[in-house]
Amino acid sequence: MTTRRKALQISVIVTLALRNLRRQVRRTLLTALAIILGAGMLVFANALGDGTHEQWIDDGVRAGSGHVTIEHPAFRVSRKLEDRLVADVRAVAEVALATPALADRITGVSAQLTINGMASSAAGARPAQILAVDPQAEIDFTILDEQVIEGRYLQSDDRLAAFVGVGLMETLNLRLGSRLVLTAQDADKEIAGQLVRVVGVFRNGAPPVDNAVVHIPLAVAGEWLGSGSDVSNIAVMVEDSTEVSSLVRDLRQALADPLDAGRVTVLSWREAMPALASLVAVDQYGNYVIFGVLFIIIALGIVNTVLMSVLHRHREFGVLQALGLTPRQTGTVVLIEGLLLTTLSTLVGVGLSTWLTWYFLGDGFDMAVIAGDALANNMDMGSVVIDPIIVPMFSVARTLQTLGWIMLMGILSSIYPAFRAARIDVAESMKFDR
Amino acid sequence: MTPDDTRRDVRTDNLWKIYQQASEEVHAVREVTLTIQPGEFTALAGPSGSGKTTLLNLIGGLTRPTRGQVRVGDHELSTLPNHELARLRLEQIGFIFQAYNLLPVLTARENAEFPMLLQGVSPEERARRVDELFARTGMSGLEDRRPGKLSGGQQQRVAVIRAVASRPALVLADEPTANLDSASSDALLELMAELNRDLGVTFVFATHDARVMDRARRLVQMVDGAIDSDETRR
Repeated sequence: MTTRRKALQISVIVTLALRNLRRQVRRTLLTALAIILGAGMLVFANALGDGTHEQWIDDGVRAGSGHVTIEHPAFRVSRKLEDRLVADVRAVAEVALATPALADRITGVSAQLTINGMASSAAGARPAQILAVDPQAEIDFTILDEQVIEGRYLQSDDRLAAFVGVGLMETLNLRLGSRLVLTAQDADKEIAGQLVRVVGVFRNGAPPVDNAVVHIPLAVAGEWLGSGSDVSNIAVMVEDSTEVSSLVRDLRQALADPLDAGRVTVLSWREAMPALASLVAVDQYGNYVIFGVLFIIIALGIVNTVLMSVLHRHREFGVLQALGLTPRQTGTVVLIEGLLLTTLSTLVGVGLSTWLTWYFLGDGFDMAVIAGDALANNMDMGSVVIDPIIVPMFSVARTLQTLGWIMLMGILSSIYPAFRAARIDVAESMKFDR
Repeated sequence: MTPDDTRRDVRTDNLWKIYQQASEEVHAVREVTLTIQPGEFTALAGPSGSGKTTLLNLIGGLTRPTRGQVRVGDHELSTLPNHELARLRLEQIGFIFQAYNLLPVLTARENAEFPMLLQGVSPEERARRVDELFARTGMSGLEDRRPGKLSGGQQQRVAVIRAVASRPALVLADEPTANLDSASSDALLELMAELNRDLGVTFVFATHDARVMDRARRLVQMVDGAIDSDETRR
């Protein structure tokens, strides 16, 4: 067959498909509307879901040990001071993090020393989770500095200063400037105490944080516990969680020697915070179920429209084949109808949802507007506080993926009607009434 | 008859078409052996249910015989796969149906050009042939109308143009005048006779219209699926 003839045949088939879609305008528009809404909801829900997860992860990693943590292999389980990154390993890790190939992808680095101890005042004593930090580095990292209710966050020239949660402050009857004694096991496994003064108080919203967390300068902790510049971990932040895997891989490569020697490990947030990873995964699977239902609804809409159209045009398909269209070409007319309907509607739906996503990119989507009082205040999951304002996360790859899935579904949904049109009994179809 | 003509004739040999209706066999076409030469203007006549349309469908490859053979030119239809049958219809056979069967989504011109588009005929040639046939059938000016905006007679004329514009060797017309008034029928028959005479197109009609039978140069009478008589006129 000549190229010209083939091109003409394709143009005939596409023309027929387009004209047939225009023929039943109301039916086509109704189905198109269903696909537009379905595709739009899919893309927007995806962006919102991804944004929600990203926010959970961001809140989680800021309260925890970053998107990526470099730490002693035993620290994650033991949480003991003895399982720490000693100064030379810390230095190797920090040199690796400062190399341009890695530094360009990193938005924050904070060396932290985690100490489980006691906080006591004249009013009593409470278990405390003491986090010794470099204030300048930590301020880019933590969200607690945005939750100050009294005083201020730690500063780099602070000595013997403490930034405490509101619960601890109330229990120990503390005020700004109050003295507080922190007690913990030091590097020699002896009990050691350290006097500090309250310079600021925060309210996070999560009781485990408000009632136990105390931030102190890393230098103070080093002297107090005899740990010098050793740290429990180096927490690393990146722009978003999609960049974590590659960073972990590169960091493991850069720290191959201490890794092989068992002196350090590099963990992603999924490994460091498996509970958060499970929560995200469960929610993601829930979303997939909803998306699956949406897909099925859209598919049924397409099957209904295209199949109805085929059944109503039984005689016409007979005429087409009598005039010389092959069964395959007849089926292709139907397939293209389904594909055109799906593609055009999906593009409109995706366009609208992209606009909607873009609209909410700035200030985010306040879930409290929908959920009312239940979400009016921050909600917490364990020790992580979740902001009810969700900023959708737009991903070109994700959007194209959705587009591809819906178009694939459009083709699959049109296969049966196309098969019916192709397998028509030409002579029998002519017996149908006009 | 020239050697070329041999390749354009239609032959049926001991042709049977049996339908199964419930537990009963219906013999729609029985033992039909027939040769139609190129350029004939033949009418298959007979009462309803006599097998005219079924025989026409068998010749056009729209349905397959239960037994026997149908040859159109060099092609034995019962052995051809569906897509080859479609190609044969596209290249060699034009159809005119009782119910016109124009494609409602296309204009009169697009309907007329449809088989030529599938054949890959150039736009200029398509336009030339269609313009000529529209002028010849008094349809000029109606090219851009959709079938729904044409009368029955006009639709059937477009169907005739569609059937002959692609230059088939054979046109099969199933009760082409059944839905037309007598004036329209006469005009249409005159047109087909002219096309038969001028273009040498073979016409085979299934009809019980006396006007068609009067004009046919060969009249094949069918009764109960079999040929009852076969009369060739001047």
